[in-house]
Amino acid sequence: MFKKSISAEWLKLRNSRIWLVLITLPVISILLGSINYYFNQGVLQNEWYSLWTQVSLFYGEFFLPILIAICCAYICRLEHMNKNWNIVMTSPVPIRSVFTTKLIIIAILIFIIQIFFLILYFIVGKILGLSSQIPSETIGWILRGWFASLSISAIQLRLSIQIKSFAAPIGISLCCVFIGLGMYIMEFGMFFPYSLLSIGMGVLSQEGLTIVENIQFFVMNILFTILFSSFAIYRLKTADI
Amino acid sequence: MNTIVSTYNLSKYFNGICRVNEVNLTVYEGDIYGFLGPNGAGKSTTLKMLLGLIKPTKGNMVIFSKNFNKNRQLILSQTGSLIESPSYYEHLTGLENMRILQRLRNVSNKKVQEALHIVRLEKQQNKLVKHYSLGMKQRLGIAMALINFPKLLILDEPTNGLDPNGIREIRELIKSLPQRYGITVLISTHLLSEIEQIATSVGIINDGNLLFQGSMEQLKAKNKAYISIKTQDNNLAKKILLTEGYKFKQNNDRLIFEDLTDSHIAYLNKLFIGQSIDVIRIEEHRKSLEDIFLELTGKERSL
Repeated sequence: MFKKSISAEWLKLRNSRIWLVLITLPVISILLGSINYYFNQGVLQNEWYSLWTQVSLFYGEFFLPILIAICCAYICRLEHMNKNWNIVMTSPVPIRSVFTTKLIIIAILIFIIQIFFLILYFIVGKILGLSSQIPSETIGWILRGWFASLSISAIQLRLSIQIKSFAAPIGISLCCVFIGLGMYIMEFGMFFPYSLLSIGMGVLSQEGLTIVENIQFFVMNILFTILFSSFAIYRLKTADI
Repeated sequence: MNTIVSTYNLSKYFNGICRVNEVNLTVYEGDIYGFLGPNGAGKSTTLKMLLGLIKPTKGNMVIFSKNFNKNRQLILSQTGSLIESPSYYEHLTGLENMRILQRLRNVSNKKVQEALHIVRLEKQQNKLVKHYSLGMKQRLGIAMALINFPKLLILDEPTNGLDPNGIREIRELIKSLPQRYGITVLISTHLLSEIEQIATSVGIINDGNLLFQGSMEQLKAKNKAYISIKTQDNNLAKKILLTEGYKFKQNNDRLIFEDLTDSHIAYLNKLFIGQSIDVIRIEEHRKSLEDIFLELTGKERSL
């Protein structure tokens, strides 16, 4: 039954323009990053690592969180329009799965985007003539970035369920990105979902995480995801539609 | 008769303002229950509470003999609904919209096609809904509500925005549902004529209060005939009537009598003429449903 709910949710994305946005933003990040890299090869001498610092700065720090916010706002906009919450909330499915199917759909979308970004990174690296092996850490950055996206998705979904405006939750996510940057610099990054993304994707530091940090990273993300998912489910259960 | 829906003291307050006040609704199996009231009377709010879309401030709901809060999913799986304007994903085709509900409700392809057939949308099922006319959207909404041929169908103003032909068509469809598919229908409307034509039971709500509930016959029994008499000298006539012990009311230049038998009318006529009061008119009136409705809601406003 849960699988059917997900496939119903997936069907809603057909013929939608969200795919265009999903593809454009990573491409822009890669372009900006690689142009930066190309013109600063004098100081950026660490091949793949240096390229990563440039592309991931645009992507992991700005475009990905905004992309997550856009996905969440879009998925909820489909329900805000034409009072489609009426259809969703009178379906014989548990209210909690109304939320979790949406979260899973977003997780799938972000996963696809992460892989797409990795492929773009690889292609651009080859075009720029990087001769060394692509570092194995990239897989970790991509996967951890995806994992950190879950807690941000839960927050953004909670916001978009309530806020009918498409732009407002995206604006909020932009603010959170800057707060996240501040938290990261003050070394409180582990306690703020938007900084966890920077940490996970190795945006500002490519030094690997220690085992303790890794555990901390996963535990914090799981906690944030559960916390904000519960807020969202509580909202769906109690608010009038 | 089995009860399909019962509510007990169902109430809803929005920001402290009462919108639905202790409503006790009873809908029997096989009924077409017409839920009638002016705009803003609390019809939609009540229906949305029955579907769990709005949470009651007070009161209980029992549907299919089960408490709603404890059996939400089970009840919803046997309930179809069309609330307010029809809901749809406009970037998808009619069929794709049906498919979404099909997956959520675990329905066979055959039923999907049958529901589309009933509302005559088979030919347009592959068109994007944003290119549908309002009437087609409404019909799609009804097909979506009917998709699993539920035990209970809740329709909120289903003929809103339809042209006269469309309205007749939807009415005929709704009328046929109880016999053809064993569906109990709860339909709200602000149009008295609509209720008159299709409902077997009626609930009248105004300002959140349920003013009348009963069968269509019970409602019609309220439209008893009355006699009005106009004379040349009503003042004198009134004196005579009082001494004779008749009960009556005066409405402009008419004297209004309820429960007056033929022999009494003849007697009064003779009496007046005997006293040289010319009788100008003796008329029988019947209250229309509209009069009853206005009496109940106490408002001389358009429905």
